[in-house]
Amino acid sequence: MPQGLPQRDKDTRFGVLAGLAVAGFGLVVLGLLRLQVLRHDELSRLADQNRVRLDVIRAPRGAIRDRSGRILADNSPSFDIVFRPAPVESTLRVNTVIASDWLARVAGALVADSMDVRRKVQEANRTGQTAILRRAAPYAVMAAVEESRSDLAGIDVQVTPMRRYPAGTLAAQLLGYAGEINDRELAERASKGYGLGDLIGKTGVERMYEDALRGEDGAEFVVVNAMGKRVTTLEEGPPRLPVPGHDVTLTIDLTVQHALEDAMAKVDRGAAVVLDPRDGSVLAMVSKPEFDPNEFSRGISFSRWEELNSNGAFPLLNRATQSAYPPGSTFKVVCMLAGLKSGEVQPDSHMPTSCNGGYVYGGRRFGCWFHSGHGSLGLVDALQHSCDVYFYQLGLRLGLDPIEQTAREVGLGDRTGIDLPAEAKGLVPTTQYYNQHFHTGKWPRGVLLNLGIGQGELLATPIQLATMTAVVANEGHAVRPHVVQSIEGQANFKIDKPIESGVVTDAANWETMHLAMHKVTLPGGTANASRSVPGMDVAGKTGTAQNPHGKDHALFVCFAPLQAPTLALAVVNENVGHGSDFAAPVAGALFKRLFLPDTANVIVRAPRPVEAVQDTAAD
Amino acid sequence: MRFKIPPLDWPLAFATLGLIGIGLATVYSATSVPGAHQGLWAKQLLWFVVAAGFAWIIAAVHYRFYDSISWPLYAASLVGLVAVFAIGVERLGAKRWIELGPLQFQPSEIAKLATTFVLARFFDHARLDLRKVRWWAPPLLITMVPFVLVAKEPDLGTASSFPAMLIAMYFWAGMPASQLLLGLSPIFNVALFFLTGSVWWFVGLFIGVLAWARPRAVVLVAMLALNGVVAVTLPKLWNHLHDYQKRRIETFLNPEQDPSGSGYQVIQSQIAIGSGGLVGKGYLKGSQKALAYLPMRHTDFIYSVVGEELGLLGSLTVVLLYGIVVFRGYRLASIARDGFASLMAVGITTALFFHIMVNMLMTIGWAPVTGVPLPFLSYGGTALIVNCIQIGLLQNVALRRREY
Repeated sequence: MPQGLPQRDKDTRFGVLAGLAVAGFGLVVLGLLRLQVLRHDELSRLADQNRVRLDVIRAPRGAIRDRSGRILADNSPSFDIVFRPAPVESTLRVNTVIASDWLARVAGALVADSMDVRRKVQEANRTGQTAILRRAAPYAVMAAVEESRSDLAGIDVQVTPMRRYPAGTLAAQLLGYAGEINDRELAERASKGYGLGDLIGKTGVERMYEDALRGEDGAEFVVVNAMGKRVTTLEEGPPRLPVPGHDVTLTIDLTVQHALEDAMAKVDRGAAVVLDPRDGSVLAMVSKPEFDPNEFSRGISFSRWEELNSNGAFPLLNRATQSAYPPGSTFKVVCMLAGLKSGEVQPDSHMPTSCNGGYVYGGRRFGCWFHSGHGSLGLVDALQHSCDVYFYQLGLRLGLDPIEQTAREVGLGDRTGIDLPAEAKGLVPTTQYYNQHFHTGKWPRGVLLNLGIGQGELLATPIQLATMTAVVANEGHAVRPHVVQSIEGQANFKIDKPIESGVVTDAANWETMHLAMHKVTLPGGTANASRSVPGMDVAGKTGTAQNPHGKDHALFVCFAPLQAPTLALAVVNENVGHGSDFAAPVAGALFKRLFLPDTANVIVRAPRPVEAVQDTAAD
Repeated sequence: MRFKIPPLDWPLAFATLGLIGIGLATVYSATSVPGAHQGLWAKQLLWFVVAAGFAWIIAAVHYRFYDSISWPLYAASLVGLVAVFAIGVERLGAKRWIELGPLQFQPSEIAKLATTFVLARFFDHARLDLRKVRWWAPPLLITMVPFVLVAKEPDLGTASSFPAMLIAMYFWAGMPASQLLLGLSPIFNVALFFLTGSVWWFVGLFIGVLAWARPRAVVLVAMLALNGVVAVTLPKLWNHLHDYQKRRIETFLNPEQDPSGSGYQVIQSQIAIGSGGLVGKGYLKGSQKALAYLPMRHTDFIYSVVGEELGLLGSLTVVLLYGIVVFRGYRLASIARDGFASLMAVGITTALFFHIMVNMLMTIGWAPVTGVPLPFLSYGGTALIVNCIQIGLLQNVALRRREY
């Protein structure tokens, strides 16, 4: 040492060093006081957030069943690969840097696009919400993730109920599909307790009965470690168990549905509906082309969505309720009924001009579909042969109002009120309508000719046509078509919208109607093809509707058995030709399957097993 | 024969043992969660036995011996520091270790002791006059060589203890405080620049120091020039730092900027300590520790486990024990009659104090994350042995404090 330095100086210098030590340790003490006393509450909360996470337990959606309880839609466990942001990161709401090797490993294990994963993870870090990186992961992906999950921070496997439609495309548009809620739906339903990532019914029954089908999600507090892995459930907070959704039982009869699907197998675009005329319950409903709602459960890619919506076939559209077609000659049923009801015609009334293949009115020739002419026919025979010339004159004789009124009484021109979303209205022109169209008093009586044969402005949906047929079968008693029979937990469930009065007229007139429609299906009538079951009488009417989009639409409506109707059917086959050739045979095939099971073909459309398609999820 | 109790510095000895005891208990707690590190406390206990043996031998050998071998030891340690670049083992991007068969050691730790010896020997000179360049310049050179080599490894934490030691020993050797402050002005210049982002703080302080020191014109001009150069080269120096070093400094200044990197460590450490409160969550009951939120909880961030489980009470106890160690170290320096012993005690105590400060301030978020373990508490054999050797050297001084 500086031997030269006196002890007094040494003491002073010791004092300085000791003072520095005191200052240094004092600084540490200040820091401790700040953290452990001043910020204790805040940091304790952060510590709890660190280790405690609120996990949602998804409630299973209620099942959808046919009238005998057979499953049409239920749930199967889906193994979703999710990213859960670290609490600290979401607390601080920062866009953390995502390590590239982490990203590469995750994307590799998931067989997913790394840009897509990065975007979802960034979003999750920003909002603090769990992000689903891969829905319904196939076994190979699951295995790869499980293998490295312990050192892939934030990656977890979540088991959620996934919607399953065991019969695949069967009645797809009727059932609809459920998918992840979108921003617009979320905004509309925020007050109903919906949250990001919730499943919601998008179309069909899934949408219409969303409130019943949807369960109530549960929640539990779980303790997690720094890797986001669940360690245990927090004892202090017992889990709130999920309440499953209610099962919905449809009026659909799976047997009839299968039969109708088979009968419609050759139809590319079109729809068919079978009603029970006694109560309006829908027994079967088919819309072509079809789609597989299971695709939506697994998460549909944008390109697939584009594909479904771009080729003009619109498989998601339920043509049975959402497409309106010109009814064509099926509307002659309405005209005939209006004529009988008003007393203007009798069953054997002839019209002044006999059919020679056409009718001249106002200097213009209106053709009959039968170019060589029907000659002079009575009312019943005119319906049987669908003579256009007869019904041109009937239209002229009756005028607009009686026809329009009868059309509305049988259920045309307005929504039937079926419990399916976005039903089309159809169109039955009124005096007011024509006044607006042609200016008051200026419209030509020629429109009545077109109305008489169901052309012109008239539009009707297949469900309206089936309803119309049911009303005729019921001898005027109106019914409201519906697809849901009962809902679990709602003992008094009823589709209780009031039904309009229907058609009131003499029993004799109904007898005439039934006779004429029966003759349609007899040899010589236009719908002989529908009479496929010996001994069972069918009453119907074909239609061939001209339309601006190519070949004529083929239509057919009928009810059976004639004596005590239990089925009312409407078929539309788009752009193929005559109803007698392309729509009536559908009814024939259906009846054969339903009433002659021994001679029927084996069920060709067995339900497709869902497992077989699960691994092919493309996204 | 009557056994005579050796005149050890007992408060120093007990404080050290207390810290090592707390360290073992905390390592046990920090590694009590099933995992790769379980059972490390037993290994640490074994290390302690080895370290105590080292301390015993170091204390028994007269410090004159260390005085006499200081230069050869210094030279050897420099060779070791150079060799580490060639044959060193790389861990976490830094080459700090040399492996000799089953033995692993850090040449930087030996260099730290050797430099202390050499500096003590140099300052303990009859004609020492620190106002003259030929007296104050050599210690600077002696320190800068190992400092640069260690910093290059890179091991900024250990390296920075060299200048800290040098400054304390300059002061202890009799350098006037004003002159020391003037000499250190470039360092304050850098520090204040980073902390405040403005040069005016420094300018104010510098004028104050000048007024106090009243240096000769030559010195004045030299210091002004030096500070000017520092101000200009600072940004270039910054660019020369390793990316992770830059990030650590940036993170220190703003930890929430990078909560997943080293900022994450600091935030989690603060959460653990703060959630401990006054009395802690109880020994072995820390949740942040148990669920692995706390990184390096048995090594660099062991003080956070103490804070979480034992609360303010435990944290302050540790501070108190360290206070005793540091206070006794400086006290021994001031009562030792021998110049070498006294200077050595100051150097060693300052190195310890510096490491304690850097680590503790890091865990509470007031110093950058530098990877410096906490003496006596952190798990690690080498560090424990070196720390015990340092205590052994201080006891060496205590045993012979009455000698000239």
